[in-house]
Amino acid sequence: MANTLPPCLLLVLLLLAPVLPAPHKRGLIFNLDTGELCLQSAQCKDGCCHRDGGLSLARCVPKAAEFQECSPKSIYGVYYKCPCESGLTCDVDKTIVGSITNSDFGTCKDPRGSRLW
Amino acid sequence: MLGIWILALFLLSTAEGKEVCYERLGCFSDDIPWSGTTERPIHKLPWDPKKIDIHFNLYTRENPTSFQEISAIDASTIDYSNFNTSRITRFIVHGFIDNGEENWLSDMCKRMLTVEDVNCICVDWKKGARCQYTQASNNVRVVGAEIAYFVNVLKEKHGYSPADVHIIGHSLGAHVAGEAGRRQPGIGRITGLDPAQPYFQGTPVEVRLDKSDAEFVDVIHTDSAPTIPYLGFGMSTAIGHLDFYPNGGEQMPGCGKNPVSQIVDIDGIWEGTRDFVACNHLRSYKYYSDSIIYPDGFLGYACASYDVFETENCFPCPQEGCPNMGHFADKFKGKIKNNFVKLYLNTGEAKDFALWRYKVTVTLSGNSKVKGYVNLALYGSGGNTRQHQIFEGTLQPDNTYTSFIDAEVNIGTVTKVKFLWNNNWLNPTFPKLGAATITVQSGENGKEFRFCGSGTVREDVLQTLTAC
Repeated sequence: MANTLPPCLLLVLLLLAPVLPAPHKRGLIFNLDTGELCLQSAQCKDGCCHRDGGLSLARCVPKAAEFQECSPKSIYGVYYKCPCESGLTCDVDKTIVGSITNSDFGTCKDPRGSRLW
Repeated sequence: MLGIWILALFLLSTAEGKEVCYERLGCFSDDIPWSGTTERPIHKLPWDPKKIDIHFNLYTRENPTSFQEISAIDASTIDYSNFNTSRITRFIVHGFIDNGEENWLSDMCKRMLTVEDVNCICVDWKKGARCQYTQASNNVRVVGAEIAYFVNVLKEKHGYSPADVHIIGHSLGAHVAGEAGRRQPGIGRITGLDPAQPYFQGTPVEVRLDKSDAEFVDVIHTDSAPTIPYLGFGMSTAIGHLDFYPNGGEQMPGCGKNPVSQIVDIDGIWEGTRDFVACNHLRSYKYYSDSIIYPDGFLGYACASYDVFETENCFPCPQEGCPNMGHFADKFKGKIKNNFVKLYLNTGEAKDFALWRYKVTVTLSGNSKVKGYVNLALYGSGGNTRQHQIFEGTLQPDNTYTSFIDAEVNIGTVTKVKFLWNNNWLNPTFPKLGAATITVQSGENGKEFRFCGSGTVREDVLQTLTAC
């Protein structure tokens, strides 16, 4: 599902890779900056490959901060709502349909936060 | 040999100095300083205003989505339009290759109309801008003369004061504004959005935009690297009353993307292609546009250089406050003391570009030192931020680490801080680390907030610090 749209794009990236030697800190396939096109969250520096809808292109964006909407980690590696930053959990009621269509959405919460207030 | 003679003859014949005269606007010569200097070696005369075909497209609160075309030559078009002399007037002038009906000009007008009641006029001179660069940079003189003529007609026929006029020019358009200001003294304000560098940097003040062109001149520099060899299109020298250098003025965040990601932009292929060609250069008007809706999100810190700005020396804002970059820069009009003020700030990498700067000081607690990084998230009345990395390296308990957070939301009063650390790999001894105290200082008003934490936490666990 995630790989249906952009295989041509992957090909372009693969062909470009040897032509443009990647500078030290950013990459063409891995270590992608915010806003760069991606296929998989593992490619992104910020750790989330996000797209708005099933047909839109995915781009690297920062993970969700506390109180923002999120989805739990999925095997697809591409998200409609990003997973939470480290230390936070995505508070969500998981459903079977939701986990197949990658549409279980919740809110990022600090698991220790409730204890303190 | 023959070649050299032909070249010499060519140079001699052009060096004589020619002149063209156009009705209403007067004469334009290609003498020094307009041509024949090291900065402007190629002789060109500006085109006829009819050939440049300048249009003034008016947007007001009565017609925010579709423009009315007005003209100073046929002054009755101003009477019939929604132009209102009780409002201030802002002209927006585009630059090289660009077009006055390009979305960014009308979008900027629409944003202004949401915060104030203005006559917003987009100046279209695309026929004069879509030609050789040397020609376009001379056509600037005619476009500037046309705007000056327009302002003069407003003054003569409607008793409209030039002090109520603000000209916003991007790239070559900034020098159009400078020319208009030179011809029509007393214009209230000129904003130069990354004024064009080739053919203008290092030239005398009558050729380029300068602080003498209006009562108040503010400039945003976003692409000020030298044209040769870095292809920077904007000027690096400070030329206004206030000169802003966001992100240091040379390389803007979000402009270093790979070509495919840059062109296939969220705002479409056209916007992406524009950014692919001149991302840094075009950021100047995007920042300006965002500053209309986030007045306090673009505070400029007066500093000697960008490197010094990244240290503690230029923080927080002085007693009288920091100037706002962009639309609300004129709030600072009466407070300018120094001759040229260079101001620095950081911006976001995609819209919305506004950021709010805070200084954070963290004192660690724990038993053993570890290698890793420290993240902080700020919480307050205005919302909360993402986790920002403030330090990476050896984390030594009882040591104090100072850094800056450019927060993506205006937190307002800071109510708590969350601390998180990570050592990047699994450590079998499971070390624990905490923050004993954290102070957060707001850049806008220098207010300090102090937070205390108890105990220590394992890696990737958030520790909440409360006010103390």
